[in-house]
Amino acid sequence: MKRGVILLVLMLVTVLLGVRPGAGAGEAVTLRVTWMGWPRNEVMPFVETFEKNNPGIRVNIQLVPFSQLFQALEVQLRSPSTAPDVYIVDGPNTASYAARGLLLPLDRFYSKEELADYLSAGIAQGLYRGQLYSAPYVSSTQILYYNRTLFREAGLTPPPADPRTPWTWDQVVAAAKKLTGAGRWGFLFEQTADPYQILAVPESLGARIVSPDGLRANGYVNSPKFVEAMTWYQRLFTDWKVSPQGIDDLSTSQQYFGTGRVAMLVGEMWNVNILRKAYPNLFWGASPHPYFAGGKPVTPTGSWHVGIYPNTKTVDAAVAFVKYITGPAAAQQWFLVHGHTPVRKSIFKNLPGIFSEQPWRVAQYQLDHTSVPRPETPCYLEYYTILHETMRDIDQGAEVKRALDQAAAQIDTVCAKYRQ
Amino acid sequence: MPSIASRVAAAGRVRVGGWGALARARRHFVPYLLLAPAFVGLATFKLWPIAEAMRQSLMASGVMVGTDRFIGWGNYLTLARNPVFWHSLRVTVLFSLVINPAQTAAALGLALLVFRAGPGIGWLRTLFFLPMTVSIVITSLIWQLILDPHAGLLNSMLAAGGLPMQPFLTSPRQALSSIILLATWKGAGYWMMFVLAGLTQIPGELFEAAGLDGAGTWQTFRSITLPLLRRVLAFVLVADTAVNFLMFAPVYLLTLGGPAGSTDLLMFETYKTAFRLLDMGRASAMAMVILAIILLVAAAEMRLLRADYGY
Repeated sequence: MKRGVILLVLMLVTVLLGVRPGAGAGEAVTLRVTWMGWPRNEVMPFVETFEKNNPGIRVNIQLVPFSQLFQALEVQLRSPSTAPDVYIVDGPNTASYAARGLLLPLDRFYSKEELADYLSAGIAQGLYRGQLYSAPYVSSTQILYYNRTLFREAGLTPPPADPRTPWTWDQVVAAAKKLTGAGRWGFLFEQTADPYQILAVPESLGARIVSPDGLRANGYVNSPKFVEAMTWYQRLFTDWKVSPQGIDDLSTSQQYFGTGRVAMLVGEMWNVNILRKAYPNLFWGASPHPYFAGGKPVTPTGSWHVGIYPNTKTVDAAVAFVKYITGPAAAQQWFLVHGHTPVRKSIFKNLPGIFSEQPWRVAQYQLDHTSVPRPETPCYLEYYTILHETMRDIDQGAEVKRALDQAAAQIDTVCAKYRQ
Repeated sequence: MPSIASRVAAAGRVRVGGWGALARARRHFVPYLLLAPAFVGLATFKLWPIAEAMRQSLMASGVMVGTDRFIGWGNYLTLARNPVFWHSLRVTVLFSLVINPAQTAAALGLALLVFRAGPGIGWLRTLFFLPMTVSIVITSLIWQLILDPHAGLLNSMLAAGGLPMQPFLTSPRQALSSIILLATWKGAGYWMMFVLAGLTQIPGELFEAAGLDGAGTWQTFRSITLPLLRRVLAFVLVADTAVNFLMFAPVYLLTLGGPAGSTDLLMFETYKTAFRLLDMGRASAMAMVILAIILLVAAAEMRLLRADYGY
């Protein structure tokens, strides 16, 4: 009897010790954030500022390197217990996450005035069936970098600085041919074979790249104009040989340009900082993204957005964090710290010293006038994966029409699950 | 005083009469009890995932989490109609036919090389085994540098010797061979250890007797060493085959199935289908196909190399 009483008391004490006061107003809320693997010393000041201004919220942020980010998110988003509250969303994947019920609609948290500060391409990328599912964080644009020294040595006129008069692709190829030779190439796409980069080529010819509902590729990815564009792309590697084959990584492309092994590079604005830091002796210039004569200038755009997981238990904290980090002040600070192309018009207005000068002058013009966002389709990840492989095969010499036919068939099969 | 062994046996022996399997089991439950933890581990981490994959291969992956539909053989039929799957299967079979004999032969060769006493032979064995201690990820990345088409170590040596530089991983004709090369570099030393163990099992008297009868090195190797190594070589071949069918890391890191699909091994296709094309059902079906192939090939190899001797 006595032993039983002692045991009962012990059990009661253990249970009472385990009981904690519920998460009340004074209790700290932990926000789980899965973020892109940018340098920790650049990201943490933003997190610390947020925590200081929001004492009830603790941010548990995970920085995942780019190469693992999408798989890591797919695994985390499979179940509510492992899903983050806030996560970084690659713009064109918004539709895919939204269609799978993995994003909270954000319209009710934003006023019309707040949304007006964003570039229209940015808003377009965050929409799915008319609702905003991800907040634009940054954008991107591609410009033509060229090596001034090599152009001068070859006695060639360099491409123009005025964003309203870009070179045509014919002019680029003509110059590239003269600059190729002796272990050097004339031209390179920074993200060779990547649909983000290369789709601007068929689009400049006027090709439609996917069906209006975004789920069918047959008749689009293998249309005559698309085939023509990809044949031109292939000739850069196999026929004119102005581009080196086998480059699969954008840091390698940057290296080739920085060390003078490639005379012209179509690349993103981040090269401005990269070239300044890693290749300070390189004498380079910036020109607008080329286009096909008779077609229209088209520039790739779009970048990271931020989304909220629908089952999050901390909607208020999540919204506060999202609106802070993508807000005008933090976004502008992120531009100054990291050099990421802005998606907010206020940043252009607030920094005239930067945006009225080369090369950001070209960037702003393109963002306002020639940017074409990637298509809104829940099947973007699959579309991108298959097209990426196909473009790689094409620059290695595969027969263009057959490769694109096969890609279209594969895409249609794989995207069938979204048609039900 | 009864021995410990007999006392353990007695403890396990319940006074149950009968000769049936159940009765025998009840009499000898101690060994089963001792095996239980290992079996639980095996069931949890190997058998249950396989069963789960089998179940998932019969489902069509729904868009929303939890909306999978049962479609029976649907995924397998889709695979059978998919030219990419057949291409991947062909590449994997070709890869298998080359790498498994090559690695087994390399293991045998290295083992014979170091199966002797002598100064520093231990160092040599360690050197051959060392690549196994490096992770496959690091191995792949370093080999990527070695095989770089423009400035790699191998190409620099070729250029210095007046030979043309090779595209290696960037050529559809050389990419698969390059992966076979790096996988063999990594694995040969590991399998060498097994063959070495097998060599030490061969009774020395046989070699002595052969020597006395006037048998040469080749004769000895062919008539004594090789036949008595059958069991070990069978093990190496079967285990190596299974491991190589699952080859993934070098493809994922270096070639992503290219160029032109020349390194599109089945494991990579499975990964791509699951995590890039977001089709778990079809990926599970592919995994089941890989499992079936491994079982078939392993069974064939074991039959071929069955050892009908003892010593």
